[in-house]
Amino acid sequence: MLDPGDDDTLAAAFAARERWAFDEAYRRYAPSLYSAAYNVLGNAEDAADCVQDALTRVWRSPHAYRRERGLVRSFLVVCVRNEAISRRRSQLRRQHLEARLAAEPQEHEVLRAGDPIERDRLRAALAKLPPQQRVPLELAYYEGKTHAEISDELREPLGTVKSRIAAGLRKLAAALDTATP
Amino acid sequence: MNERDHVGENAALYALGALDEFTQSAVDAHAAGCAACSRLLGAAEDDVARMAAAEPRHQPPGAMVRRLRPNLPAAHAGLLSWGAFAAALLLAILPSAYFWQENQAMRAAMTARTDAMSRLAGTSVRSATFTAMNGGASARVMYAPDGSWYVVLVRGAEGALDVAWMHDGRRTMLGTVQPYGDVAMLYLPKSHRMDQLALVEGPRVVAEAQLAYESK
Repeated sequence: MLDPGDDDTLAAAFAARERWAFDEAYRRYAPSLYSAAYNVLGNAEDAADCVQDALTRVWRSPHAYRRERGLVRSFLVVCVRNEAISRRRSQLRRQHLEARLAAEPQEHEVLRAGDPIERDRLRAALAKLPPQQRVPLELAYYEGKTHAEISDELREPLGTVKSRIAAGLRKLAAALDTATP
Repeated sequence: MNERDHVGENAALYALGALDEFTQSAVDAHAAGCAACSRLLGAAEDDVARMAAAEPRHQPPGAMVRRLRPNLPAAHAGLLSWGAFAAALLLAILPSAYFWQENQAMRAAMTARTDAMSRLAGTSVRSATFTAMNGGASARVMYAPDGSWYVVLVRGAEGALDVAWMHDGRRTMLGTVQPYGDVAMLYLPKSHRMDQLALVEGPRVVAEAQLAYESK
């Protein structure tokens, strides 16, 4: 018997674009998705718009998600984050054009986690990374920079930056797994 | 890259949001037709979702929920009527009720919610306690007599716990209890009765609850 509460059932139905699965995913993950957007944009209205637009785009893209992708939650969190990062880049471009806004720096809620246990685990896992992997990873995740921008900033070749970020993320995941109680 | 290229190391960059829009679109297009790259992306997305889970949580405004709601099909809209309203009230009230015996400071909050409680007084609620758990943790489930919703509450758990429905010799995972202060909770709207629930930590069942119903 299929149970809509089961993650596998939800993922299969989501991949098949069944409407109930979209509704159920939204019901389950709205707080995570909103938080992901808010933590990038720092503004409630922008965050809500961002979630709305990202989910609408997913729903309208017939092949956006396939079963092999894995957890629907992770897929949607990344969709929303990427939409939020794209919006923030646009905002920053506008701000650069309007030089007077440069005096209003963007705030980042880096590692000010709601869950202190998760925050400490993440902080410890990041600290274990060698600086050449940790720094580009942090620039990408916390500052929303593209790998080209990171390459410019660190004066490292694009391919090197890409490899270090990929290796850093793998190591971070492994360290988080090891630290799992 | 273009959409014929495999994703490779771009998976991590994609999940972190570090690709330019052109490359991101190429990754999307390629992954739509490539199972191996979809798996690669999914793994990187899991890693980034874990990082995101360590960041501050924010409650979405009601307006955000309402904006998507008009798109819900009629069958779902029905679920969002009184049943969902009662369930939402329960979500607000039950954690307080759970704390009440130990924390007298919650009295004021409980009093302030008397109106809401009186609404619920007309709704029959059943409950069952999970078998004793290790480490002093305790858990119970409150549920509707017709099986239309369940709320699982866990206090004092050290790690993440999943809730499973045990039936026909099988285990169907229902979800993970989410922390609300010291209490972790999972709300499950359902359309059928479940006789046995289990709390699962990793592969191991750590507690079970038997749910009783009146015959239909």
